[in-house]
Amino acid sequence: MALPLPPGLTHAEVAFLAEMELVTVIPRQRLDSIDLLGGKTPPLRPPHRADLPLWLALLLKKQRRANILPPAWLHPASLADIIHAETKINPQAFSDPPPPPSRADPSRPGLARRQQGAGGNINNNNDDDDDGVYSGGLILSAPFRPSCTADAPAGYLPYHWLEVAEQLLAHAGDDVAAALGGGGTAASASSASSATILGEVRGLLRDLVEVRAAKLRSSTAALGSFGGGIMSLRGVGAMELAETRGFVLGVVDGVRKLGASVETARREAEEEGMDEGGDGESDEEMGF
Amino acid sequence: MDIDDILREVDPTFHSVPLEKRDLQELTRAWVAERSAPELLPWPSHGFFERINDNIKRQIERVEDMTGDMDPKTNFALIVIQTELERYRYLVRSYLRARLAKIDRHALHYLSTDELRARMSDVELAYATRHQALLHNHYLSSFLSSFPPNLQNLNDSAGINMVEAPDLDSAVFVRLLRDTLVTAKGVEDDDAVTVKADDILILRWSDAKPLVEAGSAELV
Repeated sequence: MALPLPPGLTHAEVAFLAEMELVTVIPRQRLDSIDLLGGKTPPLRPPHRADLPLWLALLLKKQRRANILPPAWLHPASLADIIHAETKINPQAFSDPPPPPSRADPSRPGLARRQQGAGGNINNNNDDDDDGVYSGGLILSAPFRPSCTADAPAGYLPYHWLEVAEQLLAHAGDDVAAALGGGGTAASASSASSATILGEVRGLLRDLVEVRAAKLRSSTAALGSFGGGIMSLRGVGAMELAETRGFVLGVVDGVRKLGASVETARREAEEEGMDEGGDGESDEEMGF
Repeated sequence: MDIDDILREVDPTFHSVPLEKRDLQELTRAWVAERSAPELLPWPSHGFFERINDNIKRQIERVEDMTGDMDPKTNFALIVIQTELERYRYLVRSYLRARLAKIDRHALHYLSTDELRARMSDVELAYATRHQALLHNHYLSSFLSSFPPNLQNLNDSAGINMVEAPDLDSAVFVRLLRDTLVTAKGVEDDDAVTVKADDILILRWSDAKPLVEAGSAELV
C-alpha cells in the first residue's frame, strides 16, 4: 500500500506533471465548457484559440477535434539561438528560464509588472483569507504557468521543455510542421518539407539535450569539491533533474558525510571564536 | 479598504486564478514536496483535503449521472471528465501513499513527540499507533518475551537511540518562488546568497525547510 518508490520524482511522474502544462489549441469543432476538478475548461469556438492542459489538447488532437499550436520556443530559429547561447555566450551555465509573464501595471501607467513570482508584487499581502477570489500568498509555478502556450516567449526553455517538445512532436507532428514551416500557409506545406522541418527540430532538440547533459556532467566535477552550502542549477529542466537526481544528491550527501568531522570541528571553532569575542582566525587553526 | 484593494478588484489578474486551479496547484506542490522531502511534512490545514475529497466525490456522482444518457455530444465530455478524474485521483493516491511509506519507515519517530504527531492526519495517526501496537505485540510474543525485561523496549534512548529518524541534512532540489536571501550550511563554508526567483538550488533539507514553510521556495 505504501509507495515503494525512492524519494524524488521518477521519469514517469515528471511526464505526468508535464501533461498539466498549458498549450494553445485551435479547435475544429465547438465544445462547451466542461466543469473539471481543476477548473472549467474554456468553451471551444472555432477558429478562436484556447489554452488547455497538454493531456486534454492531445486527447482532442487524437480525435481530430483540434489542432495544437506549438510554442514559439520550439521554432528552429529559437532553438538554434538557445544552442548558441548555451555553447558560445555562456558555456558554463544553463540558459535562463522564461521570465514571468508581464502585463501593464494599472497603478503605474506606462510600466509593466510581473504577474507571478519574482518580486511578488501581487503577493505583498500575507492574509490567508479563503474568499476564493485571489491567491493570497500562493505563487503559481510550473506546470501551471503558461510557458508552453503560443504566447510564450521565444528563446527561453521552460521547466518541462523536453517532455512537452517530445509529446508535441510525437502526437502533433503535423501541426508543429505546419506552424513552424509554412508560417500560416499550413495547408500548402507539402509532406516532404514538413518532414525536413520536423527532422530539423528533432536534430536541434537532440543537440540541446547533449549540450546540457554535458554541462550537468561537468557540474558533477564541481560537486566533488563542493564546500559551500548552495549550488545553483538555474535553468535546468525537470527531466534533466530526474535523470541525475540520484547521482547528484548521492554525491552531495556523500561529501557531507565524509566532511562531517571537518564541519563539526569548524563549527566548534567558530563557536569558540564567538564566545571569546573575536580572534576567530587562530581558533580556526587550532580546530584543524 | 484602500486604493490598492480597489485597484485589485478591477485587476483581471486577481480573478484569473480560480479556486479550483489554486487547489490543483497546491495539491501538485504538496505531492511533489512529499515525494522529494526526506521527512514527513505537516498535513495540510484549513480542511484542504476534505475539500479535495468532497470535490472528487461530487465529480464521481456527476459521472454516474452522465453515464445514463448516451447522447454522443455529452459522451465526449464524459470521457474528458473521467480522464481528469483519474489524473486527479492518481495525485491524491500517490500523495497519501508517499506519506504512508514515510510513516511506516519511521513510525516510532513520528509517534515520539506531540509536535511530530501533529504532522499526521487523524487517520494516519490511528493507523501508525495501531500498526505499531500490533508489531510490538507480535515481536513480544515471538521473541522479545524471552529477553530480560529491561531489554524489551523498542524505543530505548539511553546510549544510542533505538528510534531511527530520517536524515534531515539530506540534499534536496528546491526552486525559489521569490527573490530571497538563502543561508545554507556547507562542509567548508556557510553560504548566504540572495537568490532570484525561479533559480533551482541544491540545498540541505534542514536549510531548505524554513524557505519551503515560508512559501518562498518549493521542492522539485
